[in-house]
Amino acid sequence: MLKRSKELIQAYKETPWRRQMQMISFVAGVVVVLALIAAVYLNITARSATTGRLVQQLQSERADLEQHIEDMRTQLAFILSVEQMQKRAGDLGFKPVAPAAITYVAVAEYRGRPVGVELAPRAGREFGPDAPLPAAYTNSLFDWLAALFADLGGY
Amino acid sequence: MPREHTWRYLTMAAGFAFVALAILFRAYFIQGSPEAAEFLKQSEYYSRLFKTIYPPRGEIYDRNGHLLAGNRTVYEIGVELESVQDPEAIAFALSNMVGTDYNEVLQDIKDFIALGAVYGILDDYVLPEKIDLLRAYNVNLPPEEEGSYHCSNDPVLIALICRPHLARSYPERDLASNVLGFVTQDSNGNFGVEQKYQELLAGIPEDIWVPTDPNRVQELPDVPGGASLILTIDREIQAMVEDVLDEAIARTGSESATSIVMDPRTGEILAMTSTPRLDLNDYQQYVKIYDDNNPFNRATGEIYEPGSIFKVVTMAGAIDLGLVTPETVFNDTGIFYYGGIAIRNWNGQAWGEQTMLGCLQHSLNVCLASVGEKLGAENFYHYVQAFGFGYPTGVDLFNEASGQLRLPGDPPLLACTGEDQDNCREIYWTDSDLATNTFGQGLAVTPMQMVTATTAFINDGRMVIPHMVKGVVQNGMQYNIPPQYAGTPISAKTAHTMAEMLADSLEYESSLALVPGYRLAGKTGTAQIPDPNTGVYDPNQTNTSFVGWGPVDDPKFMVFVWLERPETSIWASETAAPVFADIVERLVVLMDIPPDDQRLEMASQ
Repeated sequence: MLKRSKELIQAYKETPWRRQMQMISFVAGVVVVLALIAAVYLNITARSATTGRLVQQLQSERADLEQHIEDMRTQLAFILSVEQMQKRAGDLGFKPVAPAAITYVAVAEYRGRPVGVELAPRAGREFGPDAPLPAAYTNSLFDWLAALFADLGGY
Repeated sequence: MPREHTWRYLTMAAGFAFVALAILFRAYFIQGSPEAAEFLKQSEYYSRLFKTIYPPRGEIYDRNGHLLAGNRTVYEIGVELESVQDPEAIAFALSNMVGTDYNEVLQDIKDFIALGAVYGILDDYVLPEKIDLLRAYNVNLPPEEEGSYHCSNDPVLIALICRPHLARSYPERDLASNVLGFVTQDSNGNFGVEQKYQELLAGIPEDIWVPTDPNRVQELPDVPGGASLILTIDREIQAMVEDVLDEAIARTGSESATSIVMDPRTGEILAMTSTPRLDLNDYQQYVKIYDDNNPFNRATGEIYEPGSIFKVVTMAGAIDLGLVTPETVFNDTGIFYYGGIAIRNWNGQAWGEQTMLGCLQHSLNVCLASVGEKLGAENFYHYVQAFGFGYPTGVDLFNEASGQLRLPGDPPLLACTGEDQDNCREIYWTDSDLATNTFGQGLAVTPMQMVTATTAFINDGRMVIPHMVKGVVQNGMQYNIPPQYAGTPISAKTAHTMAEMLADSLEYESSLALVPGYRLAGKTGTAQIPDPNTGVYDPNQTNTSFVGWGPVDDPKFMVFVWLERPETSIWASETAAPVFADIVERLVVLMDIPPDDQRLEMASQ
């Protein structure tokens, strides 16, 4: 009985269609894997190309915006020019004041108009001692742990 | 599979294999061929675009942050030759809307087509207002969207391309034009700070290759823009001084007027102007307005004989050496012979016994020539040079003149009559030069030199270097420029004495330069102008000037005024001095300087 069974299994293993199925499965598997790789590659390539184009577009947009800001700033300066401001002041009924018409009043703590303008942080004064950074920004992990254990040890 | 068919399959397989191998073999040789190398080279060329990134030009601000020079969007108008349908229509539209010449545009398009060009530029630096007209050219169609490179909504004008770019713009037009200078279409600064700081303002353009393949795109390098400048100029004071000078020219009939307002402690120039001025947005008018007789900025670029204003240098030298004191008495006989010439006073009169204070107060040539004789040539010219005359002051403006100073032993000066180069003579320094130089004739200085020299009387004998730039903003940081000093020609004691003498002399003569409530110091200067054809001084043609400062006990401002050839009077006391007073009267309001009594009272509280 056992022998008969072995023969049947052997016969089944050696049937021609089964070998063909194995071959087809193997080739199909390879094709599927290749197709998957190609699809992933295509997808990544397409996405990076789209992103690249977007980067180019954003760069161009940024350049346009910077140009626009510069243009707006200059146009605003035209509107606020001395000539325009004097005209507007005149239209509103203002007149230049004569020195004799001015009354000066002493105001404690008033130091006069600020001298000069600061359009950007002054060089060498970015992080002055008057504005120290919180420890959380400067401590390393070990510093933080050391401080934590020190605090715990205190209790 | 029947065994007898096997050979057929093998033959077919061998055939396919052969074809495949042949293709591979051919492909290999094509890849390695010179043509392939050429194609690769071409593909490399087209795979990226060469681009020069021009950083935006740095802006220029006044001391309070008002924009004096910025950048505005303008347009380049080009034409895509492939899309041109009707050249006449394009020429017509541009001549009507933009103002370009019809024939010129038409000829340009024909020339581009004849050359086989793809694209040609028809106009540049076109203002946005004109482009807006083109965008809405066809009233039956919606206007072309802003941001589109196509100029017009009309299909016939589809070939027109409008590309925006930045161009220099001056919101204040002619305000401070002599100081700012201008930028031409080749992006080069001309005159003033625009030329002096050209490299700093313009930044450094960067050449890059931009890949056209989006897979290879990289972030564009961040090209830092040109540095921005914060000037020491105060826009309100500048406008006021220009107004006052315009009024002065109208009132006195002067050929030109020049003024400098400076903080004498720091050397910061609060205002500087000279006529004529130029609308910097229309700088093409430069050639019509300026010539050899009309320099762009007289305050630093033109020299003139200062006249009596120069007496302060002579007097300071003599006091510094201890040769005279303010109380030293001089008997003025009305004439003084020295070096073979006779020196007379401005009114030809003898003034009798005068102290040195009186000599300055009445501006007596005879007295000062005598003081010059006491000093001697060596000492006199030592002080003249120590005060900086004959050298540029170092002010940060383009093309500063050095003045004209002839010293003993110098090579002769070639003086020509008029424009005739054949009729020239050599002029050597003689003793008579010493005599005339003591009261400011026979030498020439710039207004800036005169102001710089006078700062010594305020800063304990130390001269401050005038400067126009207060700060530089670069890479997000602001660098402020501290005051710098030029030298110490006189002692602090002499400086204090001179300051008191100049304040007293102004007070005692009830000068028109005085402003009620404020103690001021200063000196007038009237100098005859030599005729360019004959070289002879014309008594009716004068340069009148005034230099003064205040408040004397705590100087906040120094004001210089120069009127060229005034018609209403030849005297500085009647022309330049009132202009000084006009400026100071308005200046104290703009600078919040209370009258002396109130200021001292407030200080004591």
